[in-house]
Amino acid sequence: MFPRPIQKASPAAQITYKTLLPISLILWLLPLIAVAIFSVKPAADFTTGNYWGWPSSFEGVTNYTRVFFDSDMPRYLLNSVLITIPTVLGALALSCMTGFALGVYKFRGNFLIFFMFIAGNFVPFQILMVPVRDLTIDLGLYDTKAGLILFHVAFQTGFCTLFMRNFIRALPYELIEAARVEGVSEIKIFWYIVLPIMRPAIAALSVLIFTFIWNDYFWAVVLTQGPGAQPVTAGITSFNAQFGVAYNMLSAGSIVAALPPVLMFFLMQRHFIAGLTLGAVK
Amino acid sequence: MSPLLQGLMTILIGVGGCVGYFYASNLILDKVIFPASGPKAGRNINRANAIRPWLFLLPAVLALGLYLVYPVIGSFYRSLFNRDGTEFIWFGNYITMFGDAEFRTSLVNNFLWVLVVPAAATFFGLLIAQLTDRLSWGNIAKSLIFMPMAISFVGASLIWRMVYANNPDIGVINALRVFFGADPVDLLQVAFWNNFFLMVILIWIQTGFAMVILSAALRGIPEETVEAAIIDGANPFQIFFKIKVPQIMGTIVVVWTTITILVLKVFDIVYTMTLGNFGTQILPSYMMSYMFRDDGRATAVAFVIMIIVLPVMVWNIIQARKEMR
Repeated sequence: MFPRPIQKASPAAQITYKTLLPISLILWLLPLIAVAIFSVKPAADFTTGNYWGWPSSFEGVTNYTRVFFDSDMPRYLLNSVLITIPTVLGALALSCMTGFALGVYKFRGNFLIFFMFIAGNFVPFQILMVPVRDLTIDLGLYDTKAGLILFHVAFQTGFCTLFMRNFIRALPYELIEAARVEGVSEIKIFWYIVLPIMRPAIAALSVLIFTFIWNDYFWAVVLTQGPGAQPVTAGITSFNAQFGVAYNMLSAGSIVAALPPVLMFFLMQRHFIAGLTLGAVK
Repeated sequence: MSPLLQGLMTILIGVGGCVGYFYASNLILDKVIFPASGPKAGRNINRANAIRPWLFLLPAVLALGLYLVYPVIGSFYRSLFNRDGTEFIWFGNYITMFGDAEFRTSLVNNFLWVLVVPAAATFFGLLIAQLTDRLSWGNIAKSLIFMPMAISFVGASLIWRMVYANNPDIGVINALRVFFGADPVDLLQVAFWNNFFLMVILIWIQTGFAMVILSAALRGIPEETVEAAIIDGANPFQIFFKIKVPQIMGTIVVVWTTITILVLKVFDIVYTMTLGNFGTQILPSYMMSYMFRDDGRATAVAFVIMIIVLPVMVWNIIQARKEMR
């Protein structure tokens, strides 16, 4: 194996390499570790000044139960779920179709449309804020989950289409041509041939979009107000206002809010990374 | 569980609607409008095929038009009006904005962000990708470093607020300062440098992204080139900078520009950490501070951001076009 195995380097270099790396890794993760430790401490530890020591008692269960029963957190979480999942499905359904059209058919305007999708992907969302907010108010969708979903679907379809089109373009075109020669209708080509091959792309994209939408803060602030529709990213600020300086609760809340995308990431890591790589390199 | 049921209904109707629309419209096109039978069968098939792509595109183009094209034009138009949209004042908003000291501060700060964050994130990403490549536990290290990427900017800011906390018992940085005999300071109020403390958060998040992409690119380098360099007696630094980096330059540029575009849009960190006080304002958060007060000014700021993003955007589209050929 050519990048030389580390065992063949000089002993001094080996030792520095092997010790410095874990240390820098721990430093890198220190903020997360600190929050994790804070979240299982009893409130008393913070008044007695035991910040960084071993927790005087393990209060993880109490703290996390309070997050779920003494605050609006469950509602925010439910809102996030109800916003994220329809968005992911909607954006995927639309982008499979548009990706197929742009990837398979050669027609006039193909590039123009594709250009529109790329532009939509890069347009700073700030420029959309005022008109979209007014539009949402006019449609009577302000401070509703439906308003957020509709907007997210429209906005994410740009990125998804870009992704899907590039994926479909990379497929062997003979596959589709062979089917056409056999007299398979276009809709059946899409449904029985292209869609099944696109499965990895769909998996990667759904994990990616899930984290994007779950972590969105901008539109949550612009388009929603109260616990009725606010997702967890916006809700966490009200949660913080409720608990003030109770650091153990703040930490537990932060962890609960961050957990779904982090879990998603660890469970679907392969797809997540595949998605990022496909989306960026292509 | 009525909200859950409602959500389920929305999903069913939405996805069902998409499938239904798509199936029905194709059916109508093939069977009713241009049937592939009768004397004009051949011509009809051709015509149906010319129209078909637009059937696939229609829903998305409509959604995009409603939520993307219209707002961009609407935003610019709105920015030419005064605060409550009653009076047309030409470029009045832009003129007062450039006269505002806070706007100039945020312009300078934004410039710093664009300069520092993509460079630092790409550098660290490349460094980590290279260093962990040869480790047995490299993949675990990578996924741990990548983890911040899955946390929202708000969540990350809240976590870092504890790191930067003024109280030396909570804040890690101030704990270290006290340990070395210095007085604790409120890091977010240290003029000029507080900008960099905020940038650290975004670098912390984005390094994972850069690392994943660059590590995939490093893996893709043909091994023979590295082998040949070793046989020729190149040292590890030469291999890295003269053999590996030039081969993944394209990917480095993509990562760099992707993060640059992101930096121009991110407001969450400044907004949750300082609300733009203490000289940390950047354009997106400056805009947020006008959101509910003065739509004319807010849209004017948005347009300035748009103009700054434009060159990067055009460059990206040119790249995409090159690849299409």
